[in-house]
Amino acid sequence: MKRFNAAPYCLALIAAVLLSACSGGASVTANPNLQANVSAQVYSGPAPATADVQAFETNLWVNISPANRCGNCHKAGGQVPQFARADDINLAYAAALTVVNLSQPETSIMVAKVAGGHNCWLASAQACADILTTWISNWAGGNSASTGGTQIQLVAPPLQTVGQTKVYPVDPTLFSQTVYPVVTQWCSRCHSESAASPQSPYFASANLEEAYLAAQPKMDLNTPTNSRFYQRLAIDSHNCWGSPVSCPNSAATMLAAIQAFANGVQPTAVDPTLIVSGALGLTQGIVASGGGRYDAHDIAKWMFKETPGTSTAFDTSGVDPGMDLTLAGDAQLISGWGITFGPAGGRAQASTSTSAKLLNMIGVSGQYSIELWMNPANVTQTKAEIASYSGGDTTRNFTVTQNAFEFAAYGRSSGTDLNGAPPLNTAANPMLIQSALQHVVVTYDPTNGRKVYVNGVFTGDTDTITGGALNNWDSSFAFLLGNETSGDRPWQGTLRFAAIHDVALTQQQVQQNFAAGVGAVYDLLFDISSLINVPQSYILFSASQYDSYSYLFARPTFINLNPNYVPSGSLPIQGIRIGINGAEAAVDQAFIPLSVNVNSTDYNATTGQLLSPLGTVILLENGAANDQFFLTFGTIGTLTRAYPDPAPPTPTPVITAAPSDVGVRVFDEINATMAAQTGVSPGLSAVNTVYQSLQQQLPSVYDISSVSAAAQIGISQLAMQYCQALVNDPVLGPSFFPGMNFSAAPGAAFGTTAGMDQIITPLYNNLIGRNLATQPPDVVPTNDPVRQELYNLITGLSTGSSTTPVVTMAACTAVLGSATMLVK
Amino acid sequence: MVHRNGNYAAGVRLSAALAALMALPLFTPALAGPTEQAARLYGRITGVPPSATVQAQLSADIAQGNAGAIAAAQLAMQNPNFYNVTLRNFAAPMTNKAQSQFVPLNDYTALIIGMIRDNVPFNTVLSADLLYVGNTAGAPAYSPANNNHYQYLDDNGVDLSQALQPATQSGLLGLPTAATAGVMTTAAGSGAFFFKGTNRAMVRFTMINYMCNDLPQIMDITRPPDRIRQDPTRSPGGDSRIFLNSCIGCHSGMDALAGAFAYYDFNVATNQMVYTPSQVQGKYAINTANFPVGYVTVDDSWKNYWRSGSNQVMGWSSALPGTGNGAKAFGQEMAGSQQFATCQVQKVFQAMCLRPPSTAADQAQVTQITADFVAANYNMKTAFAESAVYCMGQ
Repeated sequence: MKRFNAAPYCLALIAAVLLSACSGGASVTANPNLQANVSAQVYSGPAPATADVQAFETNLWVNISPANRCGNCHKAGGQVPQFARADDINLAYAAALTVVNLSQPETSIMVAKVAGGHNCWLASAQACADILTTWISNWAGGNSASTGGTQIQLVAPPLQTVGQTKVYPVDPTLFSQTVYPVVTQWCSRCHSESAASPQSPYFASANLEEAYLAAQPKMDLNTPTNSRFYQRLAIDSHNCWGSPVSCPNSAATMLAAIQAFANGVQPTAVDPTLIVSGALGLTQGIVASGGGRYDAHDIAKWMFKETPGTSTAFDTSGVDPGMDLTLAGDAQLISGWGITFGPAGGRAQASTSTSAKLLNMIGVSGQYSIELWMNPANVTQTKAEIASYSGGDTTRNFTVTQNAFEFAAYGRSSGTDLNGAPPLNTAANPMLIQSALQHVVVTYDPTNGRKVYVNGVFTGDTDTITGGALNNWDSSFAFLLGNETSGDRPWQGTLRFAAIHDVALTQQQVQQNFAAGVGAVYDLLFDISSLINVPQSYILFSASQYDSYSYLFARPTFINLNPNYVPSGSLPIQGIRIGINGAEAAVDQAFIPLSVNVNSTDYNATTGQLLSPLGTVILLENGAANDQFFLTFGTIGTLTRAYPDPAPPTPTPVITAAPSDVGVRVFDEINATMAAQTGVSPGLSAVNTVYQSLQQQLPSVYDISSVSAAAQIGISQLAMQYCQALVNDPVLGPSFFPGMNFSAAPGAAFGTTAGMDQIITPLYNNLIGRNLATQPPDVVPTNDPVRQELYNLITGLSTGSSTTPVVTMAACTAVLGSATMLVK
Repeated sequence: MVHRNGNYAAGVRLSAALAALMALPLFTPALAGPTEQAARLYGRITGVPPSATVQAQLSADIAQGNAGAIAAAQLAMQNPNFYNVTLRNFAAPMTNKAQSQFVPLNDYTALIIGMIRDNVPFNTVLSADLLYVGNTAGAPAYSPANNNHYQYLDDNGVDLSQALQPATQSGLLGLPTAATAGVMTTAAGSGAFFFKGTNRAMVRFTMINYMCNDLPQIMDITRPPDRIRQDPTRSPGGDSRIFLNSCIGCHSGMDALAGAFAYYDFNVATNQMVYTPSQVQGKYAINTANFPVGYVTVDDSWKNYWRSGSNQVMGWSSALPGTGNGAKAFGQEMAGSQQFATCQVQKVFQAMCLRPPSTAADQAQVTQITADFVAANYNMKTAFAESAVYCMGQ
């Protein structure tokens, strides 16, 4: 049971029927003084008659009975229902039952009234409603360890037809006059098949029809600012243009082009050839979530339901004082319930005084849990503090940190230093953190120390620091999300939920909260009665806003709300597509391949017949309050609509100028060529050793322009080895250089042109070519640059201390390692 | 090494001479005769220059016209270097993720060399129950757990054109015949592309190596995502637009195909492929909480969603259903496409012409060679011969 925490701050609540009680006459009832600072009433009446009355008293009545809340009006003798009366708790209980829904507390009349802005004591009526929901849930037993869910009662939605929308014209002419010129000018270097590195989709293709097809998923004619073309420039700064480059200008140019395109398209009714269900908005669904959490010991809770753009995230735990978080820097509340911390660094921080609630309550319990639904922006950030109760980089009560794929849980106790170190690092489970929505719970109790659970599963990392007391916590610290108080440890990502509990949640409780999920989930009933001529027939989808940019539709189920309905025969349902605002969504239609027959065997009167266990994500367009959804079908009952696969335009071959007609030999070709030309075996140890060490230094591609200086050095070194082996071999050497006297001194051997030709001519014949027009000509003895160069080389070397074999090797290397060998 | 020979002056002069010789203008006249064509044809096919005798013979053949030139190319392909050098370089980059040529000889490379040597229809390269091992005395026996057999052939410079002998994967790897899938189920292929990860690498590298398209060229965001598993987050960093505009383009098609490998893994501890018929590998169920309503792999079925949408242009076989079970059927689906045939010819063209098909004439030639390649029952020598002749110069 949740314990009541005496409220040091003013709270006031006027319950649901106050308005009706005050209306109908001239008298006016003053609003309660919301700023008054009063204590809870002291109850001295009859004892609670039942355990449920006792639960009502301790969970709801004690919170709403003060005079600055409901107790000011709904007291004994005051306005009915008198659920805040202090004279008889049993009568108050009976009155409260008329304005609460214990099976679905969030649907209580009392909650709806406050959510409508009726005397809320916070800036956010939603936050007040959530707090009230928490109190009613606690009364109803939502804080129990039970994992049982409530049975949702399906109610037929209002019958709505699909509205008008703009659809893409078949003729690409308008596109060619508006958007196409922009994308072909600025995007064709990547997004066309003729690009050097083609990047699909080819919406900037030279082929207009192909470009038009590829561009359609990237534009939104109904809301041009939702177009991916525009957002990539405006938000992602993706390859902007201009001189100087300007993303705002580029985005404006693109938006103007899309707007011009959209302006030229007239809204039309939904495609009449489609087989269409009834239409629904998300919030017209039946709330299917919110229960099942273990919240008995949460002492602070943030659901981030506040209006995007506002600057406060309210603590909706219902435990005073509220640790409301003030947003600063690159932090913003987002639609779909969440808070995002951007790359510029932001935070959401509570005051020191309200943060002291954590110390006061956890100091008593000696244990705690930090619970998060988080979606990191990346898995590379380190020292990124997700949630922290601290005073700076080196002092903290607790902190949950992301280090790339790992969590680090710091927690001050008598067993650690004042920084809560050493931290518990989740090294046992590599790549634990994913850039995806994850449920994370860090618990602490003296027996087990710190434990980390991810998606309901204990990570297996064991804390070596146990038995610590928390009596050294510091009350001057502040609690914050997304950073350290010093501001130098920003975390990037999105939080969808955060809570602090003053107990260490058990594995079962962690799993219970993980299973409860996060965010609002609705059951959407899409009417198909007229399509199959069976009244009260629906396709039920579980739907929710998935993040700020999309919806999740999952588990389509056929159901008939007539409890006596039994399918007669077999009802085929194939190819379900989700439509939004008059048109089928272009992307992520997971139920196109669906093909199911509804029949009496698989159909259950209570749960219907599940058509698919899968889910799919549909791009948000105008927001959850405005987007209208519907379904279309390839086949349903006797109705069929064909979806022919349009033949893509034949791709245009990429024609370029002819590149070089020649290339170079690569590494093993060089080796094989040198072996073939010298006759030296490549397996010879001296040669092979050098080849193996040089292999990756030699050219590896045929492109002649890729030959580097390092490659040429490698070629020379390998040529030297082959020539050395050739000259030194008693058989190969004389055979290659017939008549050459290697024992003669260089001066004698190479003193004449004829002497030098003794080696140059064999080199020509064996290494350069045989009168090939593609090789240097051998014009003896003059005007031949190759032969002349070799003469110079041999003459120069012969004047030194070299030997004839060495001079021969040098001449051989010069030829064997040259372009005459390398080019092919 | 110049310095090892103790003559620094010689080294300096030699370097100068080498530089001078490298700087000489290339002698590439606009028109070349049969002799020059023979030298280039032979050099491109074998990697080495021809002997005087061979050059003369090839020259004579080439002088007879196109049929003679094709015959000359066929003759050049009898040289061992065509197998030991050219084909090895052709195959080696396909055997590893880094696409490096500098890898030891392995059973993947040997399989490609052997298939081409023996004129095995190359459209079975992704489905055949085939291996090639060395018939070499002293070599360690083939083992699926190590590369010692091929390393021995490599270290000893064994002539692959003679030593390779066909064998079966079902015999040497212990796989059921139905589970064999050509290069994909070789020890080297599995070690490269079933290694850790999620087995999606086998799809991606098959597309790169045998369809000549990497995922950025293939991605199509309009395909149904119902086979995308649970592990890809649909909201990377909290932004589902990234998934809807990028991730889905590859995963919708790739995950649907990767089901073919659900029973395969590579065991790092034993260093060999694992095949568990009827039991999906654990790597198909990692990070399931990322998107719980994603696809759960229950068998080795696969679908080719790229048969529709923009990738229709790959020319999928109408004789095949586009769905199936297991790696072998997946391989047949890929190899049955027009793009597979075109891709093999494009790769051969680049190996023989030292450039990708570029001009309109090149494109037309690739189309013609592809038709001839298919008509010759996917005989790769046809592609090599015709490409080498096309690029032997005028």
